[in-house]
Amino acid sequence: MVRLIFLTLLVAASIVRAADPDPLQSPMWDYTREQFIGSAPYRFDERIVVSLPAFAENPTQVPLQIDATVLAGDIERIIVWADLNPIQHIFTYFPHPDVIPKISLRFKVQQGTAVRAAVLTQSGVWHVGSAYLDAAGGGCTTPSTGNASPYWESHLGETRSRAFPLSSEEGIRFKFKVIHPMDTGLADAIPEFYIQQVILRNSREENLARLELSQPVAENPVISFDLKDDLSARAGEYLLWMRDNNGNEFEKAL
Amino acid sequence: MKSYLAVFLMLLCESLYSAPLQYNLTAHEIALNTWVVEGKREDFSRANGGNIVNTAFIVTGEGVVLLDTGPSLKYGRELRTLIGTITDQPIQYIFNTHHHPDHFLGNQTFHDRPIYALPKTGKLMAEHGSAFAENMYRLVGDWMRSTEVHLPDQPLTLERLDLGGHRLRFMSMTGHAGADLVVLDETTAVLFTADMVFYQRALTTPHTPDLKQWITELAHLEKLEFKWLVPGHGPVSEGTEAIVQMRDYLIWLDKRLRQAAEQGLTMNEVIQLPLDSRFVGLAVARKEYIRSVAHLYERYENAMFE
Repeated sequence: MVRLIFLTLLVAASIVRAADPDPLQSPMWDYTREQFIGSAPYRFDERIVVSLPAFAENPTQVPLQIDATVLAGDIERIIVWADLNPIQHIFTYFPHPDVIPKISLRFKVQQGTAVRAAVLTQSGVWHVGSAYLDAAGGGCTTPSTGNASPYWESHLGETRSRAFPLSSEEGIRFKFKVIHPMDTGLADAIPEFYIQQVILRNSREENLARLELSQPVAENPVISFDLKDDLSARAGEYLLWMRDNNGNEFEKAL
Repeated sequence: MKSYLAVFLMLLCESLYSAPLQYNLTAHEIALNTWVVEGKREDFSRANGGNIVNTAFIVTGEGVVLLDTGPSLKYGRELRTLIGTITDQPIQYIFNTHHHPDHFLGNQTFHDRPIYALPKTGKLMAEHGSAFAENMYRLVGDWMRSTEVHLPDQPLTLERLDLGGHRLRFMSMTGHAGADLVVLDETTAVLFTADMVFYQRALTTPHTPDLKQWITELAHLEKLEFKWLVPGHGPVSEGTEAIVQMRDYLIWLDKRLRQAAEQGLTMNEVIQLPLDSRFVGLAVARKEYIRSVAHLYERYENAMFE
């Protein structure tokens, strides 16, 4: 009987140990993990590269790049969040198996925080990449600059883009900028107003890349996607579609 | 035994924590009647209390001319005391060269004296001063105690000033902060560039209107007749060496950002690129490069979109 209890304890202890400790020791890890990946199996994976500057020079425009190429072809989705932001979720990315799972955008940060990219593979295991960002803060509760100037009202959804050949790999990068205030709803008396959906389609109507954005994505988003494709063959074959939380839809041929 | 330990620890804490914060400023006479108080070639920290800036003063025959007042009330007080140990003459003119916090938050100490600045500098200080001061409290802590924004009260419209045997010439520029005052003492051939020139310390770009504008203005500075150059940050140097280093860096940075944008690099990828070997040895080079990318890359990126 004693031996049985001992064995049970031993098993219990090994399960506890099996849960990877958070390399960044963020106080919110257990909470955010529960919220975004529930009780699914996960592991911290340094090969999921979360690129951030060490310090947020401008807390309303922090550049963030996620590189999950190591799991290319095996990705269900990538959820990206900041542990200590008042709205943690930044975006979720659903890459088509044919795209290079590398994406970049800018976001707003409220204080120094761990930033996570959790990649769900087809086997059901989450691979979590992390990086720490130091910040003076205030990015999420600052009114958008657009709020002080009427420029955006007449240019809402206006999108400028360009395709670039990728030097290191076979492929192209689409970079685009869309005019949108991306208000979080956390600045006084300014309701939330932000782009929620971004889809990049090819000429066969396939969704190559789908993004679900949340309020922390920075004002006038600049987003880049990497695709396995030949730049010379594309010419107007891609369509970018977006919708904000007020139901405005924006489209642009790339 | 335990009580000895406790007493020992208390004494230790006492010595660690009660040491008053002091800048221990010293001035060097770099030319006749011309003194420079050189700051550390570092970024703001709790160790240096924000003393990363150069201030300077000229002891003319008819009173002292002071250029910039430092990062805090405490610095301003120490500076005023220091000047008092060198001359009995009153401080006649104070100039704030531009609106960055390390150059004017010592103003409070000199509230009883006229403080001059370019009109636009005064506006920028009124607009951003409090936020800058708040940030300084966060960055350097207790060194800032009781520091408040004290705005300059004399809009500078003079182009020249003859005082006590010194002929001073004022030039209004914009490259570094949007409004930058440069002072040439024609009598001693000393050029006080403030932050229009950084030397042996990487330059900062948070409010530059345009790197090309800055480069053009440096060319004007280079043509002036001077022997000694007092930069806003870094050591005093002879001749145009400091201007040449600045211009090289600005041209390189402008080209780096333009080429990166043409290649479609993301901001993070630009941050990760190596520095040119010529600039690796500058103090705070890596950190200031990263900050500059954050300040400026979006402009270059915008220019690339179709």
